[in-house]
Amino acid sequence: MGNAVKLENVSFGRRLASMLKVDFRRMLRSKLFYILIACALVIPILITVMMTMMDGSVSVDPQTGVETVLEGPENAWQSIGTLPADGSENGGAAMGGMDVMSMCNINMMFLLAAVFICLFISEDFRSGYAKNLFTIRARRGDYVVSKTLAGFVCGALMLIVYLIGAMLGGAISGLSFALGSLNAGNIVMCMIAKVFLMLVFVSIFVLVSVGAKQKAWLALCGSLGAGMLLFMMVSLITPLGSTLFHVVLCLAGGVLFAVGLGAVSKRVLEKTSVV
Amino acid sequence: MNAVEIKNLSKNFGAKQAVCGLNMTVPMGAVYGFIGENGSGKSTTEKMICGLIPVSGGSIKLYGKDYTDGAVRARIGVLIEAPGCFPGLSVWDNMMLQAGNLSIPDAEKEVVKVLKLVRMEGAAGNKYKNCSLGMKQRVGIAMALLGDPLLLVLDEPLNGLDADGMRIMREVLTDVVKDGTRSVIVSSHLLGELQKVATHYGIIRHGKMIREMTADELDAGCRTYVALRTGEMNKSKMLLGCRYSRVEEDEAGFLRVYDRTTPEEIVTYLYENGICVTEMRTDKIGLEEYYIDLMKEGK
Repeated sequence: MGNAVKLENVSFGRRLASMLKVDFRRMLRSKLFYILIACALVIPILITVMMTMMDGSVSVDPQTGVETVLEGPENAWQSIGTLPADGSENGGAAMGGMDVMSMCNINMMFLLAAVFICLFISEDFRSGYAKNLFTIRARRGDYVVSKTLAGFVCGALMLIVYLIGAMLGGAISGLSFALGSLNAGNIVMCMIAKVFLMLVFVSIFVLVSVGAKQKAWLALCGSLGAGMLLFMMVSLITPLGSTLFHVVLCLAGGVLFAVGLGAVSKRVLEKTSVV
Repeated sequence: MNAVEIKNLSKNFGAKQAVCGLNMTVPMGAVYGFIGENGSGKSTTEKMICGLIPVSGGSIKLYGKDYTDGAVRARIGVLIEAPGCFPGLSVWDNMMLQAGNLSIPDAEKEVVKVLKLVRMEGAAGNKYKNCSLGMKQRVGIAMALLGDPLLLVLDEPLNGLDADGMRIMREVLTDVVKDGTRSVIVSSHLLGELQKVATHYGIIRHGKMIREMTADELDAGCRTYVALRTGEMNKSKMLLGCRYSRVEEDEAGFLRVYDRTTPEEIVTYLYENGICVTEMRTDKIGLEEYYIDLMKEGK
């Protein structure tokens, strides 16, 4: 009886590559992914077109008789961020006002990413797939890294698709694409900063999701709650007039959060039952 | 080197001790029947072996390495409770995902091979959620077999399997361990089926291993009994009950005398009391009866 057993250690890179391959394969086969991408495309078109159509319409409070004039977007970029104050009336919202365009803009995607990550991770535990995975994958860190990267890519795609949707919405509504005092570089920097900032949100959502495991509702409530706390800061950290400073700030934040919260997520998985 | 060596393993869930000081040895090439009542700690032990729940104390060594070692863990196939599959994906996609996790080079070929083994190649395109319980169990077994595992941990793999499925399962388990390096830990309440394949047994009770033995040791330890049928069963039972300490009637309508005696002695005794024996044989108790006896002793 030959009792020679050959055990082969697999490098981190190979382990991660195979896990990422599986996660992306799953992501691309998941209806949820396409629904969210479709939402990211349709939402800005609908908001821009509807708000443009409603521009100037007056609503009257029946009790007080106070008239409110609904203001539509003046610029296609308003779906991405608020143009800085340059003497125009809109300048007051530069710090993230409470009008519809300030709330329903690309920053919503940071919260929508929570839906994807929470459901994606909770399905691992609910279906029992986690049992198969964690039996053959001793290192919990691989799982956290893979989910963070998959969530990050999904979130980044949603941001990019939202930008495309905003441009389409702007074009359909006949809005101006003028950048005023900004230039195209600022828009690119703004988008890169937002993409890097997504890493911060994704790290939080992954941590909450691995803590909640199969309880998708708990993961969603926790992630959306935590996301809401940071939501108002997004427009401040990634304004439309972003510079390299904003990009570096978001990148540093993203990396710090990903490493720090990733380590916590790993610890949570190691110290708790995964079934 | 043993496939699994567990020393003084314990697991607490809050104040409840699910496994306490468990020792277990699974040799290489063994089909290890892991037996115990519901809640005795079988599944908890199996989950700890697979690293699915943290260990409270003790050590687990798999093929001489700590159970947390990535190299050895990559060679474990598992089916605990239910197969871990995504309901919305097809059987094929689920298998391919697991093959991907295992970094199997020729994944498609390997998946086809294991699906053929469990006679599921025709249902590969079916969505997992549309599979019957038995089919799901077969998929789970196929998934556990992916990647040439050294150790298979199967918790109640026979649940929901039809007669053909059970036969396939026996063939698969026998085939897996035939090279002498691979081992299987299988827990099941279907002790009759388990006895057909197991080469070693471990009996667990209240989180403690109460007996470990080989199939030969079980065979040697199983008492023989005399089974008989007479024209007057009630009277025979009463008479034999007066003379022997343990006389029971089995499902087939035979009276079983478990005491150390000979068929001749019983026949003579009954004949002297005017009863004629119509059928008689000697046999050994099976794993099921052995286990029940052991549990009764414990109580």
